[in-house]
Amino acid sequence: MVSQILAGYGEIWTFTTLHSPPQGFASPLHIALVTLPGGVNLICHGAETRQLKIGGRVAIEEVDGIYYFSYLGLADRARLFWRRAGARGSKVTSIMKSVVKRLLSERGIDEEPPTR
Amino acid sequence: MSDVFIAGAGITRFGKRDESLQDLMAEAARKALADAEIERPEAIVVATMNPEEFVGEGNFASQIATYIGCARVPALRVETATSSGAAAIYSGFTALASGIYRSVLVVGGEKMTHLPTPRVSELISRSIDPVERAYGATMPALAALVTRSFMAERGVTLGEISLVAVKNHAHGARIPYAHFQESVSLEQVMASRIIADPLRIFHCCPISDGSAALVLTSERTPVRIAGIGHGADYLAIRYRETLSSFRATQVAAQAAFRMAGFGPQRVELAELHDAFAPFELISLEDLGLVTPGMAGRALQSGELTLGGRLPVNLSGGLKARGHPLSATGIAQVVELTWQLRGMAEGRQVDARVGLAQSIGGLATNNWVTLVERV
Repeated sequence: MVSQILAGYGEIWTFTTLHSPPQGFASPLHIALVTLPGGVNLICHGAETRQLKIGGRVAIEEVDGIYYFSYLGLADRARLFWRRAGARGSKVTSIMKSVVKRLLSERGIDEEPPTR
Repeated sequence: MSDVFIAGAGITRFGKRDESLQDLMAEAARKALADAEIERPEAIVVATMNPEEFVGEGNFASQIATYIGCARVPALRVETATSSGAAAIYSGFTALASGIYRSVLVVGGEKMTHLPTPRVSELISRSIDPVERAYGATMPALAALVTRSFMAERGVTLGEISLVAVKNHAHGARIPYAHFQESVSLEQVMASRIIADPLRIFHCCPISDGSAALVLTSERTPVRIAGIGHGADYLAIRYRETLSSFRATQVAAQAAFRMAGFGPQRVELAELHDAFAPFELISLEDLGLVTPGMAGRALQSGELTLGGRLPVNLSGGLKARGHPLSATGIAQVVELTWQLRGMAEGRQVDARVGLAQSIGGLATNNWVTLVERV
């Protein structure tokens, strides 16, 4: 099984949960049409549609030639935001990291225990 | 181009039928021929979507010609999935308009209720794009994708969509040949079993057996086919620009109105392809019969009900009359013919122009037919 991340995310165009799927598919069957950045539309399977909204952002993954969508929580979306921010994102990230490091060292958490 | 008229109309009772498909189609054909007072048409156009799989028979045009007792009348078969009946009318129309023939019998039918529902569903879903089918997409699944997009873009509610089913069942209660002849309440529709979210079973048309037939002639009769149009779209719904309207209907309507030389404002009653309840609302907008975004309001105001400004699906539509695939496109025009001739007992309206719209597959091959009392 080869798993491959595509563009990573897309936007929900429309979706449904099918309760009487054809032979060979488990019920309920979650299907969505997802628009990738650039405008290509994919038909995808997913594990659930409970939190989905039209226009909402989902992660897209390809496994064995089948596309899957998954709902992105707040943390996932924040991560995507930083990834898309590119160079500026990494600059902000490194500033954040040094601030955190300084705060921690001031509290003495990050320091090695004193040797006797 | 010669004018094309409707000389005869015939239909069988729709629903669960024990007769063979050939017998059903012969019954409708004989009724239409008797109505037209024609013994032998010059040609026959047969519409069946998949008799090879549904009933295990082939060379079906010749079979039907033989069953009607017209074995030596040239017969051909046409197929455009669920709009095959309308395609047969188009085929007959072009043969008459071009002057090749002066009378053509058009007969469509399907028999499916003897098969288990999953098998019927699988056979119908073969008209779906193979990639989308590989993901388990069935007709109700694709219709649900369309419905959710339509609801989001037009602000239509599930309650309004459900009212389509309530209205068409109420109309169907007046139709002696309908599959379902009883009314349903809004609560019943909304509480029915979910098929493909948000669509429930009462939003979907039934699996039915039945047949309908028309005799078309170049000789003048009281009902003329004023215009007929064909529109197409990508097989795959994911390639389309929008899912809140069907391009295939819009193009077919433009062609039909252009041929007729008048616009949607002259249409006084319509038979629309409500295979799924929301399709009636989408089609009303696509045909220019209501302003986009106003279909739900038109329905709620009673405009589309018997006695309203523009009665839609007085025959009960696919929802209540039933949907024996290739019979449907012809059954719509049979009902319009009776209305224009003043023969629609218990549901008669005073109209000069009627419109029929038929959807093939998930709106890949659609037809619009305009009939006029002359």
